[in-house]
Amino acid sequence: MPAEGTVFLLDDEPGMLKALTRLLKAEGYAVRAFTSAKAFLESYQPQALGCLVLDVAMPEIDGMELQRRLTRSGALLPIVFLTGHGDIPMGVQAIKAGAEDFLTKPVNDADLLRAVRAALQRAALQGELIAETTLLHRRHATLTAREREVMAHIVAGELNKVAAARLGIGEHTIKVHRARVMEKMGVESLADLVRAAERLNLVIPANTNKN
Amino acid sequence: MVASACLTLAAIHLLIWSMNRAAWANLLFSLSALATAALAGCEYWMMRAETPVEYATALRWLHVPIWVIFVTTVGFVLVQLRAGRWWFAWSICAFRTVALLLNFIVGQNLNYLEITRLRSIPFLGETVSGAVGVWNPLMLIGQLSALLCLVFTADAAAAVWRRGDRRQAVALGGSIVFFALATTVQAALVLGQVIVAPFTASPFYLAVIAAMGYELTREVLRTAQLSDSLRESEERMTLAADAAGFGIWMWESARNRLWASERGRHQLGFTSGEPLSIPAMLQHIHPDDREAVHRELQRAGETMGEWQSEYRVPLPDGTHRWIVARSRMYPDTASGMRARMLGVTIDITARKTAEQALEMQRDELVHLARITTLNEFSNSLAHELNQPLAIILTNAQAAQRLLAQSPPDLAEARDILTDIVSEDQRAGEVIRRLRSLLKHGQSQLLPLSVNTIVEDALRIAHSELIGRGITVHTALAESIPKVAGDRIQLQQVLLNLILNACEAMAANPPASRHLTLANAYVDGTIRISVSDSGCGLPSDAESIFKPFYTTRKDGLGLGLSICRSIVTAHHGRLWAEAHGAAGHSLGAAAASPGATLHLELPAVT
Repeated sequence: MPAEGTVFLLDDEPGMLKALTRLLKAEGYAVRAFTSAKAFLESYQPQALGCLVLDVAMPEIDGMELQRRLTRSGALLPIVFLTGHGDIPMGVQAIKAGAEDFLTKPVNDADLLRAVRAALQRAALQGELIAETTLLHRRHATLTAREREVMAHIVAGELNKVAAARLGIGEHTIKVHRARVMEKMGVESLADLVRAAERLNLVIPANTNKN
Repeated sequence: MVASACLTLAAIHLLIWSMNRAAWANLLFSLSALATAALAGCEYWMMRAETPVEYATALRWLHVPIWVIFVTTVGFVLVQLRAGRWWFAWSICAFRTVALLLNFIVGQNLNYLEITRLRSIPFLGETVSGAVGVWNPLMLIGQLSALLCLVFTADAAAAVWRRGDRRQAVALGGSIVFFALATTVQAALVLGQVIVAPFTASPFYLAVIAAMGYELTREVLRTAQLSDSLRESEERMTLAADAAGFGIWMWESARNRLWASERGRHQLGFTSGEPLSIPAMLQHIHPDDREAVHRELQRAGETMGEWQSEYRVPLPDGTHRWIVARSRMYPDTASGMRARMLGVTIDITARKTAEQALEMQRDELVHLARITTLNEFSNSLAHELNQPLAIILTNAQAAQRLLAQSPPDLAEARDILTDIVSEDQRAGEVIRRLRSLLKHGQSQLLPLSVNTIVEDALRIAHSELIGRGITVHTALAESIPKVAGDRIQLQQVLLNLILNACEAMAANPPASRHLTLANAYVDGTIRISVSDSGCGLPSDAESIFKPFYTTRKDGLGLGLSICRSIVTAHHGRLWAEAHGAAGHSLGAAAASPGATLHLELPAVT
């Protein structure tokens, strides 16, 4: 079974593009083929689930440049590179920049399909992560200012008593805030709350235990 | 005294004539002088005559030298002054001959029918004989011939005067006229007994002889001067020829004599003491060249033409000397027959050696260039070959999957097979191109579309252009005549121009790496221009076409020189043009003005 998502194909050689489309379609993938980076960028929706099979050597905007642009724009589209030359430094660079795979033409169908499947799985995973993060952001936005302060102190590992002293409120009040934060953030344990805070890249106050 | 002077002069000029048989003037003068001597002898005989009969006999014989004097004087005028009328000359001779005949037939001599007595005449302190008698009326014929001679000479002198040679006209013509007149008058007066004097014509003739002698002597002196300056000029010529490395030689047809300057001898292969001759000269030529040289030489001799041959002269050390010999046959001015052949020889061994070295070098260069070109293009070709192979593989694998489905997608599989076939053909074309690069085949000039060539070259250079981040612009007019050319070779030229342009833009920031290919049809030629926004040209733009000119550390610098030889073989031109400092149409930075290489080929109409 093919993984979910669209395979975006990008190659300036129409013959190659056609052949790849056939192969991927025969495997049941949804394929969208483009002969230039420009055409791809014009129709690409960042939230679309899928992966990009990208030819390195292309006129105007080449594969590496497209990768840079996508990264810059925050798109999390896994990229499988295809290249005519087995250029190792370029491959290393691509992988470092987050490419899913780097394959040399002529590419074996099994290798390509495996790479595409992996890319789509990663895309799906990333999709889930993104959805989760978005949800957390939304939940975090519902917290009051005091609740956000309390949450920051809790995830920093401070005891209720310490946090209460810091914030200049009563320990009981802290407990109430804490329960509300847990509820609003949809977490059941402190560990979950800490993980959510990490995902949200919250600024955790420096450990002020030392007096 | 008169006689001895005349005899001396006669002897000298007879000697001159014997040395140069064409010097007729000298012979005539010599005879004239001899005759004057004889005349003086006869006069002396007359003066010493004891009896009237002896006097008459002497006078009769006197007419023989007079005849000779007349004939030779007339001849001298004709030959030396190159003037006078021939019919006049002949009639003078005829009259004088008649007079001479009458002298021996009628009476005692031409002057006297009969000498009746002798009388004594005082002459220069001595007593000499004079004649008294009945004078011959036929003497008038002699006088008439003398008169004719005067008129003839005067006429000739006038012609010489008109010709501009006034000195000769006066000196020779005038003196002959004056002294002949004086002699005739004196003879008439003496014989007519108007004055009492002995018959003395010879001193007057001696004066004529002196005038003639003066003329000839001037001639001799001039000849001597001429030979002096000739010798000098020969020395100068030899010096100049030596300095220029020429050998000079001359062959005289009449005497079959070969002469050569020292260097000429050496170059023709003669050793210093060896006698020169044409057969020996031929013998010194390399056997392989001898026949041809001989043939050419004969042809030049027969047709009065020029001869030029390049041939080898074997040397004792086993090597050979290359000689170019050039000569021309000169006809004799008088006869028009071939008279002498003048020639020069030049040692061209150094040039020949250099030529051979260059030829070898060129072969090596072409070979090297092929290898370099192959290296430079192998990447592109590998890419070119890789592309269809990749497409074929992917298509085939897609087909396998489609056929494995149930039901198999046969329609799609059929399409795939069509694509596989066409991609396979494309791969085959790439291989053919590679092969023709390797092959030393004769190039075929076929009508080609320049746009196809440009597109082919761009396709081959595709990955290179992308790899270097070069933006390609094309301005190719579609309706343009074709050119006659070898597709692969022209492709190679364009590819080279494109890659050179890439190289020139290596230092530019990626945004200002522009390559423009344009075509134009002007005056029966198609021009393809490859412009870049690169580093421009050296001040001597032509130098980039020289072999081994390169800006790259690892470059051989053969690309453009080979391109040019290919273009030249296509009857086209290849040249470079630097853009102005203001930058060109693409708006390149002023610091990188760039350059355009123009390739011009004749259009096929």
